[in-house]
Amino acid sequence: MIRTFFPRARQIFLILFFAMGLAACDINAVPRYDEETKAAWSEVLNQYQRRADLVPNLVETVAGFARQEKETLTAVVEARSKATQMQLPPDILNNPEAFKQFQQSQAALGGALARLLVVVEKYPELKSNQNFLSLQSQLEGTENRISVARRDYILTVQKYNTELRTIPGRWVAGVLYPEAEVKQTFDIAEQAKEAPKVKF
Amino acid sequence: MAARYMRDWGSAARAICSLALFLCAIHSVAGQPGFAAEPKFPQLSGRVVDEAALLSAPAKERITGWLLEFERASKRQVVVVTVKDLQGYPIEDFGYRLGRAWGIGEKGRNTGAILLVAPKEREVRIEVGYGLEGELTDAVSRAIIEQNILPAFKQGNYEQGIINGTAAILKVLGWKGDAPGVIITQESQEDLSPLSLLILIILFVIFRFGRSGFFGGRHGRGVWGSRSRGGFSGGGGSFGGGGATGRW
Repeated sequence: MIRTFFPRARQIFLILFFAMGLAACDINAVPRYDEETKAAWSEVLNQYQRRADLVPNLVETVAGFARQEKETLTAVVEARSKATQMQLPPDILNNPEAFKQFQQSQAALGGALARLLVVVEKYPELKSNQNFLSLQSQLEGTENRISVARRDYILTVQKYNTELRTIPGRWVAGVLYPEAEVKQTFDIAEQAKEAPKVKF
Repeated sequence: MAARYMRDWGSAARAICSLALFLCAIHSVAGQPGFAAEPKFPQLSGRVVDEAALLSAPAKERITGWLLEFERASKRQVVVVTVKDLQGYPIEDFGYRLGRAWGIGEKGRNTGAILLVAPKEREVRIEVGYGLEGELTDAVSRAIIEQNILPAFKQGNYEQGIINGTAAILKVLGWKGDAPGVIITQESQEDLSPLSLLILIILFVIFRFGRSGFFGGRHGRGVWGSRSRGGFSGGGGSFGGGGATGRW
């Protein structure tokens, strides 16, 4: 009687012990970090959208003063429509090709806008136009917000991916969240290329 | 025999469990992996942190008085900072990280703004918290810098520039106080349409919840009102890179 009782008590104890061990691991970490990356990603998209929304006004204002810069202006308009027309697949964060494509199309728009702002330097009249100055500061601010949003996204993905790849998060995810996948992130080099510092 | 077998199994399982617990403990102690380094920020010693020593004592007192009065009336936090240098960071980068590190602005509403002056780099920035981006827009921030701050800075009169700039920021944010010589041109150009502002707010709320989780997470640093007595600290607001930069 005593002999059979003790192993059972021990078993229960072990199960409790194991449960405590699991509780000590943050079993909600994976979905929580997952939500964080999604929110950070929405903010990235939001800021890119904001930049795209500024473009038509900016192009119109610049065109009013610098018609001969047709080539640069067309490049901006085309890059914008390419960036905004791209269909984002729902799994973009886990899809390296789509993610890269997204990154490239946004980088192309960033580059085209930077070239436009360089060209503008030749037109003092434009540079003193109130509307242009306002748009320029909004564009500058938006580029800055994009880089903050991207950095926040990179950090949340780093946290999420680390959780998924390291023990014990890896075990927890293996048992409880088998569908969780490592997410794509921006490469810093791309970011540096995308937002060249323009001195105003 | 059976008991013996169970005991062995028990000790092995216990060893495994201990190992798992140990790993968990390490995991929670080690916390998050090392992320990109932060600049070293000055101590938030008050509403005016004059690390670069650009302000006289009366000017500092005067500005602090304005900021305190404004915060009491509106629950919005504005802080003036001068730094010795930016430690190699772009001022935009330094600014929003400083704002987040100090948590300027009301928690959840992010109603904070910072006037950051870096005389060594000859750069000045108005850093605007998420919640004030609709009023203190990029264009308005830039106008404040161009019209109120840079003219004085170009003459080497930092004190006047900082006083005018602070007053202009407060005026835009609805301050009722009086400061002569401040120029405010309200831009008709709105930075955000109401719809995108709404989307921004919704996203932000989601982001906040996602970050702290429903259980645990970081808690606010005490009650808002208690802060006006004695020491001063940020309310836990956050920044997303809004504002404008000026160079002279």
